[in-house]
Amino acid sequence: MARRSALALCLVFAACTPLKIVGDNLASLGRAPRPVPNKIVHPERPDARLVVTWVGHATVLLQMDDVYLLTDPVFTSTIGQITKRLVEPGLDVDSLPTIDAVLVSHMHFDHLSLGSLDMIENKTRRLFVPTGGLVYIPNFGFETRELATWETWEKGGLRITAVPVKHLGFRYGADGAWMTKSYTGYVVEYHGLTVYFGGDTAYNQGFAQAHARFSSIDLALLPISPIHPRSFMQAVHVDPHEATQAFLDLGARVMVPIHFDTFVNGADAPGEARALLAEEARAHGLGPDSVAILQIGEQRVVVE
Amino acid sequence: MPTLGLALALAVPSREARASETVTEPAVHPTVSWAVTQLLPSPEYVGGQGASYFGLRWQLTPVLYSFGINRKLSPWRFFVVEPLTRQSGSIELFFSPEYVFGLSTVLRTGLRSYFPLVQHGEYLSLSLGASHYLLEGHSGAAVEAGAYVLFGIVGAQVTYSPSHLPTEWIATLRLRYF
Repeated sequence: MARRSALALCLVFAACTPLKIVGDNLASLGRAPRPVPNKIVHPERPDARLVVTWVGHATVLLQMDDVYLLTDPVFTSTIGQITKRLVEPGLDVDSLPTIDAVLVSHMHFDHLSLGSLDMIENKTRRLFVPTGGLVYIPNFGFETRELATWETWEKGGLRITAVPVKHLGFRYGADGAWMTKSYTGYVVEYHGLTVYFGGDTAYNQGFAQAHARFSSIDLALLPISPIHPRSFMQAVHVDPHEATQAFLDLGARVMVPIHFDTFVNGADAPGEARALLAEEARAHGLGPDSVAILQIGEQRVVVE
Repeated sequence: MPTLGLALALAVPSREARASETVTEPAVHPTVSWAVTQLLPSPEYVGGQGASYFGLRWQLTPVLYSFGINRKLSPWRFFVVEPLTRQSGSIELFFSPEYVFGLSTVLRTGLRSYFPLVQHGEYLSLSLGASHYLLEGHSGAAVEAGAYVLFGIVGAQVTYSPSHLPTEWIATLRLRYF
């Protein structure tokens, strides 16, 4: 009897969770995104060497000395036309400096936003995508390039290397039959500074492999959500516990979490991923200098 | 002229530069799930000569040329077409069998071109096309226009056929995934 009840509960849960996610997304369409107070207007910091500004979700503006990079840029009010932002972008497009390289980790709508690429086209010099990703990058005014895993692009001292992660490569679903490799992380090196960008990933050996090749990582941008439903998400997304382990595997000096509290993210409650990461950090004795949990729009100097 | 030659030489990437760049053609191919989605019909309202009918329309794309796809990649697709490759700007040869309840089967073939309007056609695109059809031994020509949202999954098409009054106007709720 108990087994039957448990099975029935599992079935109800399995049916309810996707409905909850769809319902939460549709409900978000009727709400205005939460404004970001005191937005930074001039994110450039000539007084600092390595600066990170969290725009929201997986979008991060990186300053490495005189070079600027932008990860998975999403500035649009919706993604995939039916998922609306919960919080407005932490930085306005008008405030962006010229971007030396845009890094796109994979093809999902919350990471590859064509409307956002239109918005930043005139400020972007080049864009990188994983293997097979070019098919979803129409013709823009900037250079577009694929980087295969462990392939490195270099120019003027800026080195960008695609590193292995574990995720999904499709954009629309049915294309998953052939878009089997279109996801990646990146390691960026410039003037002795090293930054790891994990994009969206499950826990895997790629973190230790990246550490073996890049022994001194100053900053790791790591996703921490969606957490639930864990039985499904575990294969493609790290949770705060696994993200902390990934940070330790990478041997990085500072971790900045991304990919939470910007859009409806799985079945997670707002603030849940942030709170769990804070708990994990405390359990590992990692202070705010090591695990820097930023607010959307917040900027942090990592290397003076 | 030598100046023009030099300028062209500088503007065109060297063979070595292009060779060093990774460009992966997607291995687009029919799958079971793709085949199943092709069976999904689009409902349509057929009107003319004071009568109206309900119909269903299916669609196949034997060949498509995309002018919106990244210019480093092949613009050609056969039967299987990714939504962005179609909606970002393309011209397709289409084949549409239709069944109009109360009338008959319609066999339609034609050319249709898609034009992106918002977010490279993923949020909104338009189409214009022309077709030739066969219905109850009668053949005719038609013109059509359409508008699409949600990566082209949902759209509305209007087909006008001046040469055959029972099917003069057709309004189709176009449902298509790949």
